Amino acid sequence: MAAIWSPIMASKAESSPALWNDWHVISQVRAGQKGSSTTRLMDVPLTITWNGSVDSIEVHDDRGNGIRSTCKYGFLWACLGEPAREIVEIPECEDQGRLLVPVGAVGLATSGFRAIENFLDLGHLAFIHSGFLGQEPYTEVRRHKVETTADGVCASEVKIYQPYASPSASGAIDVDFDYYVPRPDVIYLRKTNPVHNDKRDVVALFVQMTSEEHCIAHMLCAYLPEGLEVRGMREFSQIILSQDKTILENQIPKRLPLRETSEISSRADAASVAYRRWLSASGVRYGVIPAQ
Amino acid sequence: MTYQLSEWFAVARSDDAVPRHIVQTQLLGQELALWRDDDGAVNVWENRCPHRGARFSIGYNLGMELRCQYHAWRYATGSGRCSAIPAHPAMKPPATIAAKPYASAEKYGLIWVCLDSDADLAGLPKLPGDVWTGMRSVFVNSPAAALRRELGADTAQVVYFLQPVDEARTIIHCLVAGAPAAAARLTLQRRYNAELTALRDRLEQAS
Repeated sequence: MAAIWSPIMASKAESSPALWNDWHVISQVRAGQKGSSTTRLMDVPLTITWNGSVDSIEVHDDRGNGIRSTCKYGFLWACLGEPAREIVEIPECEDQGRLLVPVGAVGLATSGFRAIENFLDLGHLAFIHSGFLGQEPYTEVRRHKVETTADGVCASEVKIYQPYASPSASGAIDVDFDYYVPRPDVIYLRKTNPVHNDKRDVVALFVQMTSEEHCIAHMLCAYLPEGLEVRGMREFSQIILSQDKTILENQIPKRLPLRETSEISSRADAASVAYRRWLSASGVRYGVIPAQ
Repeated sequence: MTYQLSEWFAVARSDDAVPRHIVQTQLLGQELALWRDDDGAVNVWENRCPHRGARFSIGYNLGMELRCQYHAWRYATGSGRCSAIPAHPAMKPPATIAAKPYASAEKYGLIWVCLDSDADLAGLPKLPGDVWTGMRSVFVNSPAAALRRELGADTAQVVYFLQPVDEARTIIHCLVAGAPAAAARLTLQRRYNAELTALRDRLEQAS
């Protein structure tokens, strides 16, 4: 039998430096955790060894190579290549005056980029999250700003009528939003706090791409503490995540199509279109159907 | 096995498409959404909203429109043209936005589809007589060619139409001539259900 000469690549993601040389969440961190656990990042099987303190966690791939890892925001982050930049900065997620709660991790049978795009999507709120984050007949997506810079995509001056915007809401309010996508698999938003209308709550989604068509979405809430309890925050977020899961697992194709003609967009999809273009421009070829 | 693009395939029994329901099925790897409008006409569409790719089969059949679950865009029976985008309530959707309908027909108690954009109804299979009774359709993890060999030639009393789901899976649609009364029909349904189930078991165990 002829020998097969092909370069051995641990993962197809190696050809997307914007992903390979960046940090990604691979687990939540629990205080005092011991023992080992396994997970996967971009097709690479990983073993995490927990030694009781956040400073002594070790991560190895399936060939026994040590993998760079560090803790931030209550999560364990790993970089499979050479880190080209720091983990994204979200000041509210380190503000000890807030309730910082990892509200849930949901496995999704789709590309992680579909999950990020769903978080960024305004048009579905009145339907998929009806009674919570939107409500008919308030279905119009009002004009807002969308900007793309080297730091990612930002959608700002977004206003949405929300019947039950967060677990501390006592009635419907018009909520002001700003969305930020600073990394291909990281998104967070700042939104009006229902009690203090001049202050903002933060919700972040860190997506762990286990393969091109599977991911784990880790959600972190950094809320002002008034009127909140951790249990209520978890229940609220898990309802929202489960509503999105149904949609996300029924999108065809699973990998995000970057060619602009493959899916039709309207003005309400400006942020989604900007996100797809930015992924293309960043050279991301994993978890997507490239434009070319 | 290769197929002509112009070929018509049975993809469901007529009574599968009940009012206000959406049937999900697949033909030659292409996912389909079948739905009957309130006037009785059947639509067979690509099972994918052109906006963000959500399966139509998890949406709603509103009677004369189909509503996507994700953003509630609505599409008209027949043409598939988008009739409403709730994110822009004041805007009339551009004519270019449409679901993808395939040519379809109802005959012999079955729903037929042709994936060719130049589909010709003359290509529909012709059976002696118009009245046939559908038996239970059976899903088999086996290629259509293997099933055709096993089923043998059709007769004046019973015919089999094969729906190649993809290269490895097939749905057998079985028709029996005439419209037998309830008791006789039940006897026939039991007989063909047993025969096709036995065939499935034999083929799946052999593979």
